[in-house]
Amino acid sequence: MTNNHCYMGLGEAGHPRLLLLLFAGLLLPLCACSSVQQQVNPESGLSSWKTAGDSLSLELLQVVPDYVRAVYSARGLPQEIVDAVSSYCVFGTILHNTTQQPLAYRVADWRYITPDGVRHRIKTKSQWVSEWREMGVAFRWSLLPDDQTYNVGDWGQGFTTIGLQPGDRFDLEYSWHQGDATFTRTIRDVRCAPVQAPLQ
Amino acid sequence: MCAVHPFRHHCNNHYRLTCLLAGLLALAGVATPAAQAQDDQALSYQFTPLEAPQAAPDFVLPDMDGEPHALQDYRGKVVLVNFWATWCPPCRREMPALERLYQQLGGQGLVVLAVNQWEDPDHVFAYTGELNVFPTFPILFDPDSSVSADFGVKGLPTSFLLDQDGRVRYRAIGGRAFDHPEVERTIRALLERR
Repeated sequence: MTNNHCYMGLGEAGHPRLLLLLFAGLLLPLCACSSVQQQVNPESGLSSWKTAGDSLSLELLQVVPDYVRAVYSARGLPQEIVDAVSSYCVFGTILHNTTQQPLAYRVADWRYITPDGVRHRIKTKSQWVSEWREMGVAFRWSLLPDDQTYNVGDWGQGFTTIGLQPGDRFDLEYSWHQGDATFTRTIRDVRCAPVQAPLQ
Repeated sequence: MCAVHPFRHHCNNHYRLTCLLAGLLALAGVATPAAQAQDDQALSYQFTPLEAPQAAPDFVLPDMDGEPHALQDYRGKVVLVNFWATWCPPCRREMPALERLYQQLGGQGLVVLAVNQWEDPDHVFAYTGELNVFPTFPILFDPDSSVSADFGVKGLPTSFLLDQDGRVRYRAIGGRAFDHPEVERTIRALLERR
């Protein structure tokens, strides 16, 4: 399933003068017809969403709660942490800088939008790590870093935690900065993983 | 916003022309962000040169046998510091290429230090036994992640290239194909500084 969105990196992208500049090829790196492709893993039945056509590509992979528990248990973390993280709607999240210019993202700027239209903040890695530190745990890995500047060839991955239940639906609004431009995109109708993988 | 089918673009009025132009330019073979996008499954190879190289944070960490390794002891060598963990998929993917790089340039002044995060030597030893190519470079242990914090590492893997004076010259966030010719070229240029 492919859902494409055409947009530009400047606020008034549709202005005729900017379109002329585009035609001249000057703004080409800032413009693209971006797409969101949803796929279903044939082995697990779990879904993923992957964007293409932007300077920052983003991939979201559903992660079932049992897998989250396994990951954190295997790190030797206290059961309280294991239970807390796995109670969230977790996605494996992969980000790539696909261009030849640096860009930066900040998870604190991202929002998930529930069907009632309410915009929610995503619980960040530093918020989790702060809680863990209060418990005497120095572990600070596996979650998507709060913010990163990706230079050419840079990429990263980690869990993002959405405060929803298995199977819940939402739109993800994410953004990044490149040069003087801020880019904001929305992946619509993302679904939290079910309690169990459909094909397992 | 536009919905794109293989050969049909449905844009609203505001963006229709933009989509059309972008599509035409793409068809004409002009580079677009989409065209530049690399295969997400492929490890990249670029290292970012730092505009103002700074002294790397010094550290002393034990290896698999408990022997201490001080970064300072490697002055005069080019050092690749790689922060990693066995549970990190791109870290696992880049490990064989890291060994191939070390085999290629280890005899010419390159030191590789793979600094593991939050794991114990027994676990890591078991992991290295699963690899087709056993790492011959030192694997060091940073159990409380204090050294990675000193380097400002936010995610794994992250790698740094240090020059012979112990200054951080390059950084790479995310997995790399360390045996890519471009990586080798970058390192050889550092090795040839003296």
